[in-house]
Amino acid sequence: MMGPLRRALDRFRGAGEAAIALPPMDGAIRPNQALETAELVLEVERPDNLAFDGRRVFFSSGAAVLSFDPARGSTKAETLAVFESEVTCVATDRGGNLVVALDDGTVLFAAGPRKGQRISDPGARPSCPTALLLDENELIIAHGSRKHSPHGWKHDLMERNVSGSVWRVDLASAKPTCLADKLAFPYGVAFDQDKNIAIAESWRHRIVAAPGSSGGIAALLDHLPGYPARLSPATGGGYWLCIFAPRSRLVELVLLERDFCADMFLEVEPDYWIAPSLSSGRSFLEPLQGGGIKQLGILKPWAPSRSYGLLIRLDASFHPVASFHSRADGTRHGVTSCVDLGDHVMVTCKGGDAIVRLAPGLRKGSAGT
Amino acid sequence: MSVLFEIRGVTKEYRGVPVVKNVDFTLLQGEVHAILGENGAGKSTLTKIMAGVVQPTVGSLSLDGQAVTFATPAIALEHGVAMVFQETTLIPSMTVAQNLFLGEERFLNRLRSIYISAQQFLQSLNFPVDPTVTVGSLGAAKKQMVEIARAVRHKARIIIFDEPTAALTPEEKHYFFALVERLKSRGVSIVFISHALEEALDIADRITVLRDGEHIVTDVTAEFDRDKIIRAMVGRSLSGELYQRRAQDQVRPPGRRVLSVQDLTMGNMVRNNSFSIFEGQITGMFGLVGSGRSETARIIAGIIKRDFFHGGEVRFEDRAVRYKVPAPAVKDGIVYVTEDRKLEGFFETMAVADNLYAGLLAKNLNSGGALVNMAEMRALADSWTRTLNIRATDKNARAVELSGGNQQKLVIGKALLQKPRLVIFDEPTRGVDVGAIGEIHQFINRIADDGLAVIMISSYLPEIMNLSDRILVFRQGRVVEEFTPGETTEEKIMYAAVH
Repeated sequence: MMGPLRRALDRFRGAGEAAIALPPMDGAIRPNQALETAELVLEVERPDNLAFDGRRVFFSSGAAVLSFDPARGSTKAETLAVFESEVTCVATDRGGNLVVALDDGTVLFAAGPRKGQRISDPGARPSCPTALLLDENELIIAHGSRKHSPHGWKHDLMERNVSGSVWRVDLASAKPTCLADKLAFPYGVAFDQDKNIAIAESWRHRIVAAPGSSGGIAALLDHLPGYPARLSPATGGGYWLCIFAPRSRLVELVLLERDFCADMFLEVEPDYWIAPSLSSGRSFLEPLQGGGIKQLGILKPWAPSRSYGLLIRLDASFHPVASFHSRADGTRHGVTSCVDLGDHVMVTCKGGDAIVRLAPGLRKGSAGT
Repeated sequence: MSVLFEIRGVTKEYRGVPVVKNVDFTLLQGEVHAILGENGAGKSTLTKIMAGVVQPTVGSLSLDGQAVTFATPAIALEHGVAMVFQETTLIPSMTVAQNLFLGEERFLNRLRSIYISAQQFLQSLNFPVDPTVTVGSLGAAKKQMVEIARAVRHKARIIIFDEPTAALTPEEKHYFFALVERLKSRGVSIVFISHALEEALDIADRITVLRDGEHIVTDVTAEFDRDKIIRAMVGRSLSGELYQRRAQDQVRPPGRRVLSVQDLTMGNMVRNNSFSIFEGQITGMFGLVGSGRSETARIIAGIIKRDFFHGGEVRFEDRAVRYKVPAPAVKDGIVYVTEDRKLEGFFETMAVADNLYAGLLAKNLNSGGALVNMAEMRALADSWTRTLNIRATDKNARAVELSGGNQQKLVIGKALLQKPRLVIFDEPTRGVDVGAIGEIHQFINRIADDGLAVIMISSYLPEIMNLSDRILVFRQGRVVEEFTPGETTEEKIMYAAVH
């Protein structure tokens, strides 16, 4: 009884869940231009899912999986395979295996000793594989939603769905085991130090540990200022966390206004919804938050934006220690994946159609201005 | 210039312990005379003797060559000697105008005419203070302005300022110095106690240095430099220890996020303010008076409340909190070391041990339950007096009898024995001498090294630059910029605070 009453009162006075209060980007997440000024490696349309097998870097672009040799400083990628539907995530292991998930729910090995092996999709249709993690004999699959494909992530967010799940598939028996469900769009998975699974839960802006024997989900890092995407291990311990879009007060407000959302779904093209985006500023039809976003024709870096570029370096305890930004006036937005190659870090800016390399000096350091 | 006021062989003892020993002092007509010294050097006592607040045990005073005895401050004021105290003596429940005209009330008063006169007078001094608001609602700097205005209004021939600029912003200090120049040009003599040595070097004609209650040196300002003053004050050179800019690699890395303030709002003072505080770091907060630093800190500590509607969110240890009073905040591990120690920091008529024990009681950490454990109280007092090097005339000395720096150490001790996880220091070295500043800084550094989260609000930029691991700049009720000490300069910080 107290719950609904509390929620009603919170809604009335703008507190609790209705506070529309966002965590600030400060401390280790203080804005800088490190991502915006990072070295460009490749200009490619909507790159995603960087993976490294020890020799080559793989990534997806639309329905294709491409690769390049990072040692050569290559600026040209070779197409490895082209599929019938869009590639949503890829993963590799040191044995040369490359596993690919497609927008239609197909999960298959595209290269390596297991090439051709298909994994029966454990998630309900329409399938939504958002992240893969390949270990010796098992494959971890994150399913973002039961209601939408990865392509429909914006719908899933604005409908406030909580239907994601994470599965473990034994590669020998092909038997799937559900590790966690009722997740709000799991978009990244990684092993922690103890081989437990850490999950980036986008719509709840947090990283959680998959339930162990105790059965409860524990937050490892929460109150992020954006929507987390892929998690990947960092050289020397810790992790890299990609944030694919920023949270904004306007979007948080709209998420509370269900009638407005219903009308928006019916009447407005998804590209122009008041919702986060991988890129912005490409059409005058896009919604803006507040006025004064431009002064004397110059877009201010601090302006509220639907899209943003943010990569966060986490320590082994999942505490942010440094961050790399492309701000409102930048273009390297929509960071969905990265891979740590030891001496440098490759990052996909899906919204900015670019793969960039973070300089060796920057990847350790704290945020600059 | 002729001698206006003279003190000969003055000694003042408390309980047989001398705090001023056989001091001679002369004040010339129309001069600005700075009195400098460490905590407990006897500066405040000497000036209180001049203003009739305390009576000398031995010694004589003369004004215009005539021997005088000031039994009360009112008598001193009749003779044209006014004192602006380090801790304000205004009546908080009365308006600014009523405080200015205190003692001059007629049988029937027209508030409107008082307000108009007060408004004109404050404007003539360039003090932006609303005469119709109650003094209790003013910040420390504006209270100080009212104090100064009151002294100026009484047409005093000698005005004694005890730490007048401690709580003033650089712009306000500029006004204050201009005011001192105006007073000086009218033939008023100024006695000026400050711990900001540069200020003394800038505006004083002569400087007197006291140490341990004794007169060390008096000379014209041209004969002094910063190092010479410090040597005279403490008997050794401290300039290398104080306000020395730290190397970039000495900045502590952020630990776990302890506090997250999100879109905090309280009236016009705090507006959509957001920032985080991390353990193991000192977060310096800089801003002009009225920028909302103290108000934000006081909301966090439960002293004042944020807006009921759309007041934002405060998360402490990943838990949303909204304290209505400070007690639950203290229990959760948030302590606030006030900027107004006299009013809020301690019980001035109670002894050091009692005050420290009160801190323990606030968190129910005492062992005796409802009973006061005297042995525990004494042990606590011994331990913290040693830890913080609190110097008192004796063990039973009342808090009011301590010097400003020792009072501040007492307030810090009282807060820290509550085993906090977040400590908020609001102007921790305001009105504190250079020796004690060093000790307090060391202590703040030590607790940050021990892993506590520390917020330090300060109006003194060298202090912010020296101590902080990150610097948040406030303007108009919110954080507008964040710096690390290695990448910024005082000019950049001031620019962010003003523009």
